[in-house]
Amino acid sequence: MNEILEQYFDVSQMSKHFGEVLDGFAITLELALVATVLALIWGLLLALLRQLPGRGLLPVRFLAIGYIDVFRGVPLLILILLISGSLAFLPLPEALTIPQWFGKPDNFWYGIMALVLVYGAYYAEVYRAGIEAVPSGQMEAARSLGMSHGQAMRNVIVPQAVRKVIAPMLNEFTALLKDTTLVSVIALNEVALVGRDIQSKTFNSSALTLGAILFLIIVLPLARLVDKLIARERARTSRGGAPPVMHH
Amino acid sequence: MAEPMLRLVGIHKRFGELEVLRGIDLEVQRGEVVCVLGPSGSGKSTLLRCVNLLEPPEKGEVFVEGKDICRGPASPAGEAGWKLDFVRQRVGIVFQQFNLFPHKTALENVTMAPEKVLGRPTAEARSKATQLLERVGLGDKLGEYPERLSGGQQQRVAIARALAMDPHVMLFDEVTSALDPELVKEVLDVMRELAEEGMTMIVVTHELGFAREVGDRVVFMDDGAIVEQGNPADVLDSPREERTRKFLGLVLDR
Repeated sequence: MNEILEQYFDVSQMSKHFGEVLDGFAITLELALVATVLALIWGLLLALLRQLPGRGLLPVRFLAIGYIDVFRGVPLLILILLISGSLAFLPLPEALTIPQWFGKPDNFWYGIMALVLVYGAYYAEVYRAGIEAVPSGQMEAARSLGMSHGQAMRNVIVPQAVRKVIAPMLNEFTALLKDTTLVSVIALNEVALVGRDIQSKTFNSSALTLGAILFLIIVLPLARLVDKLIARERARTSRGGAPPVMHH
Repeated sequence: MAEPMLRLVGIHKRFGELEVLRGIDLEVQRGEVVCVLGPSGSGKSTLLRCVNLLEPPEKGEVFVEGKDICRGPASPAGEAGWKLDFVRQRVGIVFQQFNLFPHKTALENVTMAPEKVLGRPTAEARSKATQLLERVGLGDKLGEYPERLSGGQQQRVAIARALAMDPHVMLFDEVTSALDPELVKEVLDVMRELAEEGMTMIVVTHELGFAREVGDRVVFMDDGAIVEQGNPADVLDSPREERTRKFLGLVLDR
C-alpha cells in the first residue's frame, strides 16, 4: 500500500519537481488559451458559412458541412503528426512552414494548428446549436425591419446564440485543455512531457500525478460553473419562455 | 382613381401539399384599415407574410404603391425579387409573439433598424425612438429589457419598432392573441390612434369589436380564399355567406 502511494503521491518528489511541472503546465495553458481563442473565431466563421441562405450559396454550405464532419472525425493525434511531420517540406514560405511567431517554437504552432482545425469544427457545431435555438421569429422580425441576412445575424441572432452556448463552450474548453497533452508527442515541453521525463529519470510517477492535479484545479471549478450556468438558463427559459438576457 | 397603396392579384401559396392561399385578390387604398377575419388555418397570416415577402408567393403579383415587388431576377440569397429593401422599408409588420430582441432594451429595439438599415445617426434615431415610445405610452420604459415588460407593453414596443422605419403600410398579425385579456385594450388603443392618424393598415384579428369600430372594411377568409368582404357592419351583422355566419356564430358564442 505504501509503495503504491509513494509511486503516485510522493510529496517530496512533487515538491522537488514542482517548478518544472508548473512551467510545463504554463505551456499547456498557453496552448489551450491561444487555441481556444482562434478556434472560437474559426468555429463561428464555419457556423455562419453553414447558415448562409439561398440556393446560390449551397456549395459554400456543403463545403462548411464537409469540413466540419471531416475534422470532427479525424483523430487529433494523427493531425498533429501530419502537420508537424510534413509542413516543413512543403514549398511555402518558411514563415508559414516553420512558424516562430511571438517567440514560440514551431512545434507550439503545429500543436495550435491541429487543435484549431479540430476544435474549430467542434465549436462550429456548438454555435450551430445556439443559432438554431434562437426562435425563428427573431430572424423574421429582423428581416422584416429591412435588415439583410448578415445584419440580422450580426445584430440579432449571433449575440443571442453566444449567450446560449457559454456553458457548452466551457465544456469544450475542458476537453481542449486536456487534449493539449497530445502535443507532447512532438516534443513540446508541456506538462505531460515534463512529467514523463521526470518519470523515466526517477522511476516515480508523482510528477505526472501533480500535472493531473493541476488540470483538476482548473477543470473542477469550471464543471461547477457550467452547472450553475445551465441551471440559470433553465430557470430563465421556464419562466414564460423568454429567451435569456444578460444584463450589463 | 388614385393608385391603391397595396394591390394583390391572384396570390397563390402552398407549403408542400398544403395549398394555403388559392388565388387572393385584394386592394387596399391609402389610409384604409382592412380587418381580416377567419378561422385559424384559413391563410390570413400567410397572406400578410406574402405582402412583405417573408413568404414569397408562388403565383400572383403584389403591388406596393404601384410597384410590382414580386418581379425581377432572384437575388443571390434566393429570395423573391430585388425589391426586398423597397418592401421591407415601406411595409411594417407586428407579430403575434412580439419577437422583440431580448438582448436589447426597449429603446435599442426601436433604434436598431433605423441605425443599421437606414444609417441614421445614433442621436437622431434615439430621439425619434423616444418620441415613438412615448407615443405608445412607454416613455418611462426606455431602458427596460423585454423580459421585464408585460405582454401588452412588449407589443407596444414592437409597434413603435415597426413605426421607426416610417412604413407606409402596417400589417398586424393577430397582435392581441397572445395577450392576457386585460392587456388587449392598451394595444388596440394604440392601433386605433394609428388608424385615426391615417395609417394604411391590414389587421388580422379575432377582435370583432375593433373590426367594427376601426375597420373601413372587413374581409372574411376561409380555406385560402376570400369568402366575402364589405363594410364592417354589413359583414358582421348580415353576412351573405353561410361560412361567414357560422364563423361569426362560433366567435360570438365564446
